[in-house]
Amino acid sequence: MDSQAGGALPAQPRSDAPAARRSARRRGPFSRLSGAHKQQLAGWIFLTPAIAYVLFAFATPIVYNLAFSFEHDSLSTIGSINAPWAGFFNYTAMFHDQIATSAILHTLEFTVGSLAGQFIIGLSLALLFSSRFPGRTVARSLVIVPWLVPLIVTGVIFRLLFQQEGGAVNQVLVDVGLIHTPVNWLGSPTYALLTVTIANIWLGVPFFTLLLYSALQEVPAEVKEAAMIDGAGPWTRLRLVTIPIILPVIEITFVLGFVFTVKVFDLVIGMTGGGPANATQLISTWSYALGFQQFNFGEAAALNNVLLAAALVCAPLYLLLSRDQLRRTSGAGR
Amino acid sequence: MSGRHKKTAVRWLSTLVAFAAVAIMLFPIYAIIVASFESTVTLFSTQFHFFPYHPTLANYETVLLGIQPGNLASVTITGDQLAHVLTSFEIALATALLTLVISVPAAYALAKYRMRVTALFVGALLVAQIVPSIVLATSLFAVLLKVHLVNTLPGVIICDGTYAVPFGILVLRAFLFSLPNEVMQSARVDGASEWQTFRMIVIPLARSAIITVAVFAFLAGWGDFIFALTTLNGAGFEPITLGIYSFLGNNLANWGAVMAAGVVALVPAGVLLVIAQRYIATGLTAGAVKG
Repeated sequence: MDSQAGGALPAQPRSDAPAARRSARRRGPFSRLSGAHKQQLAGWIFLTPAIAYVLFAFATPIVYNLAFSFEHDSLSTIGSINAPWAGFFNYTAMFHDQIATSAILHTLEFTVGSLAGQFIIGLSLALLFSSRFPGRTVARSLVIVPWLVPLIVTGVIFRLLFQQEGGAVNQVLVDVGLIHTPVNWLGSPTYALLTVTIANIWLGVPFFTLLLYSALQEVPAEVKEAAMIDGAGPWTRLRLVTIPIILPVIEITFVLGFVFTVKVFDLVIGMTGGGPANATQLISTWSYALGFQQFNFGEAAALNNVLLAAALVCAPLYLLLSRDQLRRTSGAGR
Repeated sequence: MSGRHKKTAVRWLSTLVAFAAVAIMLFPIYAIIVASFESTVTLFSTQFHFFPYHPTLANYETVLLGIQPGNLASVTITGDQLAHVLTSFEIALATALLTLVISVPAAYALAKYRMRVTALFVGALLVAQIVPSIVLATSLFAVLLKVHLVNTLPGVIICDGTYAVPFGILVLRAFLFSLPNEVMQSARVDGASEWQTFRMIVIPLARSAIITVAVFAFLAGWGDFIFALTTLNGAGFEPITLGIYSFLGNNLANWGAVMAAGVVALVPAGVLLVIAQRYIATGLTAGAVKG
């Protein structure tokens, strides 16, 4: 075959090769593979950085966290996961740690209170914005502003608003006549958790409003009109028509809201630092104090795992609600 | 009242109620802006001032130029907030860049290639979005210690990516589904490689989704406090969020300056709200994760 090319160009390849080489230059390094394999390889190359990142930044920390929770760790052993085995010592210590158990309880109260407030206010605003009135586009776009504030700044702002002396909240309440003397919102263990919850409600309202608003746009006008003709009042229509229709969105909003709320950290650090007398200590803030201030990484990891478990309780529900994303496993490459 | 008049009245009443609600929602931000122009003495007096009382630039002088007011001359200033702003910018931009570099190609692979790992990996991303940052922070500190990235910018940027990478991949993937396969198909027929198809066809078409993800990643990096707090400890630089926290701890006597530092931290969010409002609303509806 090569003899065909003669002696002048001994290394002359097969006659179709120059074209192939030219197209190889044009198409890149995978062109010699068959179409399907080429696609597979390209897909893997596109995906590799993401897989590496998820392994490094999510999987490894979760494994480390699990390991730490069964070890006696200190700052000197934290860089590796072969500290002395501790069995369930850290978990026992955690459940005997009154601050840790109260932090778990506070997290529960904080989460339930926040979600209830965010849902009621969010749904009210969403319903309001669904009706037609002058200026509604402007009003709707302004509602998302609180979401953009860095959380630590939100903490500082609410510390200002709830100051005992010279705070806006006390000022308004005294002026209106609801209270006679200023309340020590953040300094008293009785009110501090409530105050932090109020701040977090403010933080979450934009999210609830926006999601519920977009769900309300999907409710067919004919359905609402039919209910109106049947003589249903606004409350009945909301309860029996609107809410059942937007229920799937309400569910996913609650699931995501739970996930966001259970891990709140910056806001509380900025407002109270977990005080007074640990009254606003949440799982997240106490885990930070244990790990990074007391270098008790073992108990911190145990507490972290409680938080992780609480968040992951939502995972099956979240996956179920996101099943559309999962089912569409491929948009068909070729 | 006739029916039409009643309808008009109801509409204007809605406007009134809506703007009252918006005013309450925005009041905290208004309050910190007003407070940032008041002296600490005014802020700690028994009266809250809804309008500027004795406006002064002293707080901004303290925050941006390091000048303490005379009566607080003995209180040391922790760091220069202007340098913190710069650090925050670096972190935020790098977080956005890291997020895009990882998530755009991954989203393309997960949306347009038939791969066996797709369902598994998308499931993993959905779960990853749920993992609380403080859980990651404790052990990422240990991981970064091992690879000598504690107290470095790359370290904190890798951590900040956890806010935005799963979100970015999922949002971009959902968007890429809407691209017709024929577009890529015809590029291939014309002899474009997989990479060329991605770079010259897919990226330009996905521009709006890419901007949404970039804006969110930027804001996540800008607003991050947890990872800065846990991975930067005596690094010699810190972002504005950490600067505010140290200010809060060491400098409560200068409460006015804390307010000014808070306002400075709000500026980029405000700018983005004005120039990229459309993308922010899209991202928030797509279920952006924060914190």
